[in-house]
This record gives sequence, C-alpha cells and structure tokens, in this order.
Amino acid sequence: MKRLLAICAAVGLVAAACGVIPGTGSGLKIGLVTDIGQLEDKSFNEFSWKGVQDGAKAVGGTAQAIVTKDIADYKQNIQQFVDQKYDVIVTVGFLISTDTLNAAKANPSIQFFGVDQFIPDPIPANYQGLLFNEAQAGYLAGIVAGTITKSGKIGAVGGRSDVPPVVNYIKGYENGAKSVKSTVTVSINYVEDFNAPDKGEASAKTMIGQGVDVLFQVAGLTGAGVLRAACNAKVYGIGVDVDQYLSLPDSAACIITSAEKHLQNATRDGIKRFKDKGKQTGNFTNDATNDGVGASPIRNLNPVPAGLTDKLTQATNDMKSGKLKPIP
Amino acid sequence: MGRGDAAAGDGGLMDILALPRLVWEFVVYLFAVMPDLLPIILSLATPLALGALCGVLGERSGVVNIGIEGIMLMAAFFGYLTGFALHEPLGTGAALALGIVVAVATGALLGLLHAWLTVTVRADQIIAGTMMNIAAFGVTGYLNRLIITPSGRGGAGVIPPFHLPDQLATLPFLGPILAMFLDQGPIAMSVILLVLISQFALFRTRWGLRTRAVGEHPKAADTVGIDVFRQRYLNVIVGCGIAGLAGAYLTLESTGSFQNGMTNGRGFIALAAVIFGRWTPLGSLLGALLFGTATAFGIIVNVRPAEGDLGTLMKTIPTFWYAALPYLITVVILAGVVGRSTPPAADGIPYAKEGKG
Repeated sequence: MKRLLAICAAVGLVAAACGVIPGTGSGLKIGLVTDIGQLEDKSFNEFSWKGVQDGAKAVGGTAQAIVTKDIADYKQNIQQFVDQKYDVIVTVGFLISTDTLNAAKANPSIQFFGVDQFIPDPIPANYQGLLFNEAQAGYLAGIVAGTITKSGKIGAVGGRSDVPPVVNYIKGYENGAKSVKSTVTVSINYVEDFNAPDKGEASAKTMIGQGVDVLFQVAGLTGAGVLRAACNAKVYGIGVDVDQYLSLPDSAACIITSAEKHLQNATRDGIKRFKDKGKQTGNFTNDATNDGVGASPIRNLNPVPAGLTDKLTQATNDMKSGKLKPIP
Repeated sequence: MGRGDAAAGDGGLMDILALPRLVWEFVVYLFAVMPDLLPIILSLATPLALGALCGVLGERSGVVNIGIEGIMLMAAFFGYLTGFALHEPLGTGAALALGIVVAVATGALLGLLHAWLTVTVRADQIIAGTMMNIAAFGVTGYLNRLIITPSGRGGAGVIPPFHLPDQLATLPFLGPILAMFLDQGPIAMSVILLVLISQFALFRTRWGLRTRAVGEHPKAADTVGIDVFRQRYLNVIVGCGIAGLAGAYLTLESTGSFQNGMTNGRGFIALAAVIFGRWTPLGSLLGALLFGTATAFGIIVNVRPAEGDLGTLMKTIPTFWYAALPYLITVVILAGVVGRSTPPAADGIPYAKEGKG
C-alpha cells in the first residue's frame, strides 16, 4: 500500500515539474525563461515563446522553454540553460531583469535578450533589452476609449504599480482619452497582483457601479477577470499586450480593441538579428516607427464611430514623426 | 490652508483632535463606500466559504484534508472542460449545468480517494492531502496544455448572475445589503443555504451527532454501533463534493476560463477560515466573509479613494499594503483566536478497530 502511495506521489511530482517543452529543428539552441505564471498565459509568456519558436525555425535552431513558478527561481532557471550550453537565452518580463543582467555578465559567450527589460549602463555586449513604447499603445487605446465612452467615465486596472510598463500603458491611455475628450474622468486601480481574476472582476464591478463604461486591463490573469466583468455588465473592454479578441475567446464579445506590443515579432527579430549580425547589445525599442506597438483592429462596434480610424492613423503617424509624445 | 493656520496657532489642540477626526472621517468613508463594498464581498468569499465547509465536514468526523486546494483545482478544470467540450453540441445552458455536475462529481471522487487513503489504508492525512495538491497542479496544467490551449477557443462562458430589480437595489441602506446576497450568481447564493443546512445538520440531526461522535471519540462511537468508517467516508465525500462546487464557481461562474493554478491558495485560506470558525459551518462562513471583506476593501480604497486629510493619509500607504490586508488579518486573527479554539479530539487520527492496529 505504501508503494502505491509513493507511485501516486511520484506521478504528481513529475506532472508538476513538466515545465520544459521540447522544440524542433537543429543548430542554434535557444532557451526562453518565462515570467512567473504559465506558458499559456494568452499574453506575454505565450507570445514571446511563439516568437522564439518562429525565430528558431527561421534560423534552423531548437527552442526550449522553462516556466518560472516563483520569483526565487529566475536565477536557477537561467542557469539551467547556461549549464546546457545554450547559444541564446531569452528572458521574459521586467521582474527578471536583474538576474538576466548578472547571468549576461557571467557568461559573455551567450547572447541574452530581455523582453520588457531596460538595461542601465554599462550594458554588457551580449545583452539586449527588447523594449516597447507602451505609452504609445496605451495612447491609441485611450483614443478609442475616449471616443466610445457615453458616460464620460473610463477605467483602467493595472497589475502592479511598481512595474513601469504597466504604469506607462495606463498613463498613455489616460492622455489618449483626454486628447479626444478633455472632460473624461479616468479611474485607475492597481490590484498589485497579476494572478487574481476575482480581484480584477471585483475592481471592474465597482468601477462599473461608478458609471465607468470602458475598461482597460493591464493586469495579466487579473485582467481576464476585468474583461469578464465588462462582458457581464455589457460595457466595453480593452485588452492589452496582444489582440485579446483572439487570445481570450471567453471575453471576445465585449473587447473593442487591444493595446498591442508586437511581442512575437520582437523575439523573432531579435533572434534573426543575432544570427545575421552577431552579438546584440543596448536597449532596442519597438515602437510606432518600427511597427513594434499598435492598437488591434476595432471589433464589436458596428458601425465603427465616424473618424475613429482616422484619429488612430493620425496619432500613429504623429508618433512616428515624433510630433506626438504620449507622455509629455 | 485653514488647517495649517490653526495648527500654527494652536498646535497642541490640533494634534489631539487629529486622530479622532481621522477615525470619524474613516467611519463616514466606510458608510459612503458601503454600496460598492457589499456587493463584491460574497463573490470573493464564495470559494473560501465552500472550501471551508469541506474542511468542517471532514474534520468534524476526524479527517483532516489539506488537499482542498487541489480538489478545487481539479473540479474547476474538469467542470470547465465539460463546458468547453459540450457547449457546441448541447448549447450553453446545458453545458454549464453539466459542467457543475461534473465538477461536483470530480470533487466527490477525489473525496472517495482521500477517504480511502486516510480511512481504509490509514495513510498520513497530511501526506495524502499534499499529494492531492501537487498532483492536481500537474494533471490540470498538463491537460490544459494538451487539450484547451491548442484549440484556441473558449469555454461555455459563465452562469449569468441574477440581477436585483432596480427598485430594490436603489433602496437606501437596505439596497446594498440585499445586493450583497441576491445580486449574485447561483453558486454564490447557494453558499448561504449550504452553510445553514450544514449548521443545522451538524448540530440538530442524527447524522450530525454521529459525525461529531466519530470525530471526538471514534472508539466510543464504535462501541455503540456507529460505523466509524462509513461515517468518515460519507463526510469526506460530501465535503469534497462541496469543494468541487467551489471549483465550479471559479471556472463556470466567476471567470469563465481556466488558468493553471487558478485556485491560488484559496484552499489553504479556507482551512484558516475553518479554524477561525472553530469547526462550525457558520463560523467558517464568517471567516470567509471577513477575508472577502478585507480583499474588497483593498480594492475599494483604490477605486473610490477617500477625500480630505483621510484621503491624503490613505494615499501615502502603498497599494501593496491594501492588497496584503486580507493576509495580515488572517495572521492576526489566527494568532488571537487559535489559542481558544480546539479542534475535534480525534481530528487527523486514523481509526483502527481493536486488534487490527
């Protein structure tokens, strides 16, 4: 009987530890260390991983992913790839940047890419931060929100207030909305948790009770609850990072647009740059000028409000030319 | 400005009055946000209350179950999977209803496993529960990756909540209280009913008396002809079925989607609610509601910030502290209450008949 118990326990342990996904191909070995959470988060981890897979395919390499379960595991997860002599290591998220920087310094022969990581000087020659101009994407989402709100009250739910990209999205959103309707009020809540859909839902419910009729979520899984609440109350939702109309079919009915980072392109192109030109360094910004950010196609609005598309195009062009700064 | 002048002229008096005034402002603020606070408490407390009920039923009969977290997660997954697989052929309503049935059945089946391990085989109850948690995380994560993620489509959606008629919801004072219990989905509303039934059954029926006897002194119960094994099996299975309902709540009523590890520690907080409630259904419901209230407060503070001096003071506290509030309260309460609350005497001890030890 004890043996049976042991077998059961072992099965459980093995299943829980199955964080490594086998890739395909041969040549360059490319590893991805995710942010806390899961690979199929329908957002950051998933699309960075897709880009890594695309990149591996494009350069004829193999791709592996390690899913980080706890903030304390970042270091050892990176080290796993180092020990296995990987050529390229991509790490995802702002929170993992310190450990990535240390690993890059210690292993100059390995190329590191950090999605959403700003690297302060001096930057190692083998470490490139893949940044996004979130404020620009947020600004475009804000234009949409400011245009479609009927009550003049819009809301945003953020994952954490100490993660600059989250804050930038929301600042851009606020300014974008005010650019089309100066009287709009924006209520903002930082839940301080990326993995609590119930708290996201409760936040959204409260905002809706206050008359908010457009909700922008920048909160990972917490944000799934926000969009859910928006759907239940039949108000508008705006997604983040990827086109959530496609990635969150459960909430597709109320998602109007998403403030997008083109994550999949960013990791794929980084890997290609490395293959073509060798070691990559510095902070590489994906923004309006290189189609690194944008707003997803407008959904669920029939007809699309007059002039909305023009306003978005105009703002994008002004951001490209540098005339428009989403956060002055 | 006025305050600054007064403080300059009569600093001592201002300092003395500052605290009571802030407290008063806080009370006024609490009343002002009540209509926003009350309706979201129950939805935050539901999975905790149901999980705690599972804990109470099991532990009252002498079986500790720290696998509530895992059981919820498994039920949440299989309930969602049912809705996911069946909402096209059967339609949303039927798929959701079947999803709930499957979630409860998943819970009950895992309860059967837990009962077998802990009652028949007399395995260590903590180890059995831990195994449940670890296995649930792996199994659901694996199947999610295998079946649901690649399909790229959603589940059956969510069970629509009831909406209180506006005439009632807008009643002063009474409206928010009604909304707290009635402007909710069916599973959230069933919590109150289940708790009341369990409370009555545990303390007013033969089944309840037997449960308590088995949990306090199984040998004595055995000698008067109560089947200790049967009683424990029954309680664990029913309790875990209720934990399964908590899982169904997460995927089929609250979020409408499944995410790996989405129970996020709720099964363990439910155990804290059991202890807080001194192993009674009503008490543990109160514990869950308290936790829900603290969570809701952490949200309201940001969404409806206070004004004036109180607002300034509250804004200086980082939002992380508000998010941590429920956990801080749990620690404080457990530290204060546990000393006075005693578990059932035979809680956690496997029972062996004479001569079979």
